[in-house]
Amino acid sequence: MDHASPMTRWLKGLALTLVVIFFMFPILWIVLMSFQTNETILRMPPSVVFTPTLENYQALITGKLVSSAGVLEIQFMRNLMNSVILSVCSVALSLLLGVPAAYAFARHKFRGSEDIAFTLLSFRFAPPLLVLLPLALYFQDLGLANTYIGLIWVYQLICLPLILWIVRGYFEDISPDVEHAYRLAGHSWFSTFRRIALPLAGPGIAAAGLLAFIFAWNNFVFALVLASADKQPVTVGALAFVTASGIQYGQIAAGIVLSIAPTLALALYAQRYLVEGLSLGAVKG
Amino acid sequence: MTAADPDLQSFAPRRRFRVGARWLPYLLSLPALLVCIGILIPFGTAVFYSLQRYRLSQPWARQMNWGENYLNFMSDPAFWNTLQVSLTYAGLTVSLELLLGLGIAMLLRESNRLNNAISVMLLLPLMTAPALAALMWKLMTNPNFGVLSYGARLIGLEEFKWASDPSTAMLTVVIVDIWVYTPFIMILLLAGLRSLPKQPFEAAALDGVPPLFVFWRITLPMLTPYILTATLFRLLESIQQFDIIYAMTQGGPGDTLTVFQVEAYLNFFQSTNVGRSAALLMILWAITYFLSSIFIKNWLRLRERARGDA
Amino acid sequence: MYEKEKGLIDAFIRGDLSRRGLLRGLAATGVSASAASALVNMAQSRALAADFDWKKHSGTGVKLLLNKHPYADAMIANIETFKAMTGIDVSYDVFPEDVYFDKVTAALASGSTEYDAFMTGAYMTWTYGPAGWTVDLNEYIMDPAKTAPGYNWDDVLPGLRASTAWNGVPGSALGTEDAKQWCIPWGYELNSLTYNRRMFDQAGVTPPENMEGLMEAAAKLGRDIPNAYGVGVRGSRSWATIHPGFLSAYANFGQKDLNVGADGKLSAAMNTAESKAFHAQWVKMIQDSGPRDWSTYTWYQVGTDLGAGASAMIYDADILGYFMNGGDNAEAGNLGFAAFTPNPAASAPTPNVWIWSLAMSTFSTKKDAAWYFMQWASGVEHGTFGATKMDFVNPVRKSVWSNEDFRNRLEASYPGYVAQHDASAPGATIYFTAQPLFFDLTTEWAATLQQMVAGQAPVDEGLDQLAASVDRQLKEAGLG
Repeated sequence: MDHASPMTRWLKGLALTLVVIFFMFPILWIVLMSFQTNETILRMPPSVVFTPTLENYQALITGKLVSSAGVLEIQFMRNLMNSVILSVCSVALSLLLGVPAAYAFARHKFRGSEDIAFTLLSFRFAPPLLVLLPLALYFQDLGLANTYIGLIWVYQLICLPLILWIVRGYFEDISPDVEHAYRLAGHSWFSTFRRIALPLAGPGIAAAGLLAFIFAWNNFVFALVLASADKQPVTVGALAFVTASGIQYGQIAAGIVLSIAPTLALALYAQRYLVEGLSLGAVKG
Repeated sequence: MTAADPDLQSFAPRRRFRVGARWLPYLLSLPALLVCIGILIPFGTAVFYSLQRYRLSQPWARQMNWGENYLNFMSDPAFWNTLQVSLTYAGLTVSLELLLGLGIAMLLRESNRLNNAISVMLLLPLMTAPALAALMWKLMTNPNFGVLSYGARLIGLEEFKWASDPSTAMLTVVIVDIWVYTPFIMILLLAGLRSLPKQPFEAAALDGVPPLFVFWRITLPMLTPYILTATLFRLLESIQQFDIIYAMTQGGPGDTLTVFQVEAYLNFFQSTNVGRSAALLMILWAITYFLSSIFIKNWLRLRERARGDA
Repeated sequence: MYEKEKGLIDAFIRGDLSRRGLLRGLAATGVSASAASALVNMAQSRALAADFDWKKHSGTGVKLLLNKHPYADAMIANIETFKAMTGIDVSYDVFPEDVYFDKVTAALASGSTEYDAFMTGAYMTWTYGPAGWTVDLNEYIMDPAKTAPGYNWDDVLPGLRASTAWNGVPGSALGTEDAKQWCIPWGYELNSLTYNRRMFDQAGVTPPENMEGLMEAAAKLGRDIPNAYGVGVRGSRSWATIHPGFLSAYANFGQKDLNVGADGKLSAAMNTAESKAFHAQWVKMIQDSGPRDWSTYTWYQVGTDLGAGASAMIYDADILGYFMNGGDNAEAGNLGFAAFTPNPAASAPTPNVWIWSLAMSTFSTKKDAAWYFMQWASGVEHGTFGATKMDFVNPVRKSVWSNEDFRNRLEASYPGYVAQHDASAPGATIYFTAQPLFFDLTTEWAATLQQMVAGQAPVDEGLDQLAASVDRQLKEAGLG
């Protein structure tokens, strides 16, 4: 199929190489930094020759940074745990709420359905601070301050519209004939939904769930505004590595690596679903 | 979708389920709606705040001043700067990401093992939290040990100060944004490119039509719906940028990067000027609402077309 | 406790034995140093407890909101002493400084009952106090039923007591008769020079005597010392850029941030000819000899560079230099300290001070227990423990400053520190005008400085614009 001249092919190769370098280099460099001590990081010119150390990871995982100034406690593992709790619970709740609603929008065109769908969608595009700042003022009165529940509720702003949007499109793509036939065979609505519709839409749901998980994991501003110290996720926690006796660059790097590792691993493992989710979410619906 | 949709008719519930089936869709979508409606309340509060003179540090002076916060913006150079910076940021990031994303998608268009491996690799920046991506770039552009600062010096840019100089700060955050989000546009356009029908391209190849002509006259027009959607989607997020800029410079240096959300955040937490902060966000909301309604209309049309083709 | 140890400790409490003598005696009986000081602290607490019912709130729990800071570390290291003495349980949330004050604002603005006491600076109470978020602590300090007789409030440096008290009238002086004590001084810093003695020797430079001298020395150091710049100062777009060295020098030239009219109206005062001349010097100093990415510099970067040998000196908090002279910093042990009088016509330094203080939340449901914690944390015993065992400097109490262990420790490892402090302290106070728009104005001031340093705005024009904008905001808020 490729009839291009060697020259074009060579140029293409060069362009692709540059693209890969631009997008991969930062990740690679941070990984390298995470295996160095401040001493080798602060060298000029930067060099890739160093004796790797696991010190930074050890400090983060054990939660104790040992320096000549004493032992410093680091909450990083707690931040990591918070990220897991917040992301997993938010996505689970979103799926629970979103999938039936998506099914309703796709299969039952009822009065006001388009308006409701539009309203739900439009939350995806509201400036987050517009909701967060007033909430910061009365989260306390709602009894939601300093709870995972409060945060998980607010995280629905990110997860729910996304899931609704993608899953609805997926349901609409599936012909209703099978479901119809199953219903005619005398099965209840619920069993049709559970046995036919859900499995058929499985890939779409998986894609939406994965994507929602990543958006939740990467969120920064929600917890920054609303969460107390012991509920902060890694995105905020990674800012905490500066101490009065110096900035531990190696640990910042190790913290970044640990924080992005789960989403990167997920991306590599489930890339097909992710690509599907991304293109469905934005285009096909 | 209209009421005459054949799917709908064919799926109409049978008589004995009528009552239940009539309420069923509402029942199904109600919980989702309720959870989100809860979020409408703070939104309403924000509207209310934006019409008040409300500083946390002067509780006694709190009162309704109706449109005064908005009127004050007219004569407030800081507001016009915010508007300008936000639009510049959005314009720059979206256009550059679109060009780059389209270019990369064209390069990876052919589905082979290498191209697929590369496109998976390019997903990784997109999976990195923007706040952490900003932190990564901050480390790399540190003037004392940053590898990029060193690189800039190697190619003769002795005084290139990245995010810490007003003349290059915008460029720096735009680069970080490009790094994070170009893959999004790339993936979208790649999906679009690969789903285009093959016949027009085969016919053009048979006729020996020059590749540039094919690109302008066939590829681009057919890809337009995808490009439009990707653009609007990015534009919406980009004009609301917070994470990258806040984590990198908190709006500085000077007023170089005081985009809407950063300015509103600082107004709220540092100046405790709740009224101004809320009014700023309302204006941002108006802009995004306008954009998102275009976006959603466009998206619905696109969906119809996709279904029509299928 | 063994009899012999007990006897030694009681002798110490009675005053028959010095602390060092006691520790030596205990070491001889085989008690380790750390255990010994814990024993001593407990014994002191027992002695304290004798004349005050410290156990009154036993069983209560208080929660603190803390900034990640050596002061908080020192307190946490000693917290068991407090728990043992009072039976009050203490828990805390620690946030990094980048987001700390936003968190405080969020907690207080929402009326959160979660935190009983928190760390703050005096400037912040200019918002918190009038907003009704913090308690006037005079009610507690003056109440003998609530405050132990040994607390000795007058032992706290008078300038610091005044600086943390304000009557809430915008533009009014701090520490007036009708002022409310919004917070209790805990630890404080004043601004002076910390320099790298090795580099100064190498370049043949002595600590500068005035602004001109500082600029020259910084330029020479930048030229002569490879891989280091001349002088580190903060530059991020924040109030924190204005309040350390910058405002100290500014005040030394007799300049003010705001004018207070006879009618109590405020107006901008930063566009005088003297102010413009000083700004021009400051901007040139940064352009010539400051850090390359100055505009992102917070105190962490200023300190890290000094500690790593990337800068030859800093004009910033004295305690920042103190911290950098220890720990695992490359230049630990090489740093020296000097008081600084930028204005050749001025007779003494006028360092602006930053006071880390403890404040009580209005929304606390355990105010009395919280006050027990606050008076212990700001008391003589903990102050002495922190200053001699941890990095709880600068202490806010006269008695701690006169503690020999502390002075000897400083003299031995931090050459010039005590002299620097003693020379600076008389002129050290808050040089800002107390008013609720503090953060608006200082943030904008910092942004203007950034524009000047970047060459985006000429100094005089920039200052005129700043003054106009400040006046406009003051009017808008009903203050000007």
